[in-house]
Amino acid sequence: MRNIWTMFKKEVYRVLSDARLVVMVFIVPGLSIFVMYSLMGNIMQGQADAVEEHEIIMIAENLPQDLKTMLEARDLEGNQSQLNITIDGREAMDDDTLEQKILDGDIDIALLFDEDFAEKIANPDLHAPPSLHILYNHGRQPSSFAYNRVNMVLMEYRERALIERLEDPNHYIVFEHLPVQIADERVVSGQAMAMLMPMLVIIFLFAGAMSIGPDAIAGEKERNTIATLLITPTKRSEIAIGKVASLAVLSLASALSSFIGILAGLQNLMGEDASAGLSIYGLSEYVLILLLLMSTVLFIVGLIAVVSAFAKTIKEASMLIMPFYFVTIIVGVASSFGAEPATAWFVHLIPLYGATNALSAVFTFNVSLLNIGIVCAASVVYTIVLVFILNRMFQSERIMFQK
Amino acid sequence: MIGLRVEHLRKTFNLSKKQRKIERTDVRRKIAVDDVSFEAKPGEIFGLLGPNGAGKTTALRCIATLIKPDSGDVFVGEHSAVKDSAMVRKNIAFLTNEMKLEDHFTPNYLFTYFARLHGVDEADIEPRKAVLFERFGVDKFREVKVADLSTGMKQKVSIAVSLVHDPDTIIFDEPTNGLDVLTARTVTDYLQAMAQAGKTVIMSTHILHVAQKLCDRIGIIIGGKIKALDTIENIRAISPNEDMEALFFKLVEESEAPDYA
Repeated sequence: MRNIWTMFKKEVYRVLSDARLVVMVFIVPGLSIFVMYSLMGNIMQGQADAVEEHEIIMIAENLPQDLKTMLEARDLEGNQSQLNITIDGREAMDDDTLEQKILDGDIDIALLFDEDFAEKIANPDLHAPPSLHILYNHGRQPSSFAYNRVNMVLMEYRERALIERLEDPNHYIVFEHLPVQIADERVVSGQAMAMLMPMLVIIFLFAGAMSIGPDAIAGEKERNTIATLLITPTKRSEIAIGKVASLAVLSLASALSSFIGILAGLQNLMGEDASAGLSIYGLSEYVLILLLLMSTVLFIVGLIAVVSAFAKTIKEASMLIMPFYFVTIIVGVASSFGAEPATAWFVHLIPLYGATNALSAVFTFNVSLLNIGIVCAASVVYTIVLVFILNRMFQSERIMFQK
Repeated sequence: MIGLRVEHLRKTFNLSKKQRKIERTDVRRKIAVDDVSFEAKPGEIFGLLGPNGAGKTTALRCIATLIKPDSGDVFVGEHSAVKDSAMVRKNIAFLTNEMKLEDHFTPNYLFTYFARLHGVDEADIEPRKAVLFERFGVDKFREVKVADLSTGMKQKVSIAVSLVHDPDTIIFDEPTNGLDVLTARTVTDYLQAMAQAGKTVIMSTHILHVAQKLCDRIGIIIGGKIKALDTIENIRAISPNEDMEALFFKLVEESEAPDYA
């Protein structure tokens, strides 16, 4: 036990006393996620604001006066934001010129009504309704936005015309549409978190372990320091446990840095919803999440340690770990975009997938202590097997010393 | 004090395709150490003398339990290297040029770290560190990272660290290799002092005059086999008309090319 503790302290000190590693393992992940999410949030918000503030340039031909009034009212019923629009006549512009100006972005939208459009609306002929051609460029955001906003006004205009045609306006009401929200708001918020968090958790845990694991074992082989360690009377199993335990703690700390980055960045990306989403969880949920993280990180570092011990150099170890990283990403993405978390107990025996599944269940308040217990117990068993393999690898002169 | 006994040690290696090409052979297995037996007694320096590739380092790595022999055994006192390797490691110091210290740490940190892994009592670590650091001139560099030390100082730190647990048996592979004259002298003086203190010292070298100067007894190893095993004087007596160097060359020339299984 003393040797494990000595190994553990040395491995942790090795990372914490190296400013370069501290920055790379604990600061860069969180900071880069924060900067990335904040930038994404700012860019998305900036784009939305730019479109909202954009003045719609419209060309209209034979525009009915009542519709023009509605478009220029700038305070649409049921539409909170105002419509910033300038309406010009077509004048002598031919079709090609009009289309080119829309393509060039000089005009956002053109409404070309039939000559007798207003008259036909007032005196409808059911077999020959009037027509309206709308020209817009869906490849340009301002033009698409103009189409959507103008279309809403047109829908309202059509609705008004329809109501006027009915003898009793009440005939227009076929049924009263009264949806009642009975969902648990916590679960609704939780579903959004369940989509995002398990994937990020598992990927960041793996990335954290990947940034330090190869150096701790393959690095020792590459630098010829492993023999100095193996010549001590320390048991190989103690070396294996010391390495895995220290890597687990450091990886967890690295993942924590990523989480702080996510939490700070999410607020910039999603606004108030993000911070509200995380505050719905209580102490018990956070304890279960931590339990799942700890058991999962053990498995991950065990796996990375075995692969690193097999490799001759850090570079080779990083290369050999890559396929496992891709599998982890696939598992994370599958848990994000899959259906509801599986409840079958045996699913939770699957490494990584069982953990993401159990995390999703915790985030959506569908906690099954049995399944969480299975995930933790299975991870511990897998880690013991991996430590056993690592122990055997430390005893193998072929693996340890072959160049 | 305890001695060391090597009994019929044999070690073979698989040759990779690349190695077979370099050695120009189709044989897949090379005999690195072939039925090597010798004994080193407390208070003496035993030398394994042989040219490069003779099997010295492999034999010493087997003795130090870093690699397992195919057959034969090594006994440090009563502890078998095959059956009780941890106890053997507890009682020996082993150093080869291939064993490095981590660049990131200081001699001070590494000494304490390895002392703990060797099971040295906490109270004994600092006094032992003071003695060895002073002896090898490491004191001034105790807080300098290994990466920033000169080659000679790195070697001296490695020697100090290998001796943290004050073992009865010291096994050094080419201990003066690559060292300047002054550093080499510090090392050889220390080995002699250890032998005088009753410890068992085994060293390997490919330099004849180093073996002649330091060793009480030598084993000449060529092609994995011990060709001569005795005191320098007795070996010289085998062929009284030749000097030791001529005899050594003769043994090398007589030796066949390395054996393959």
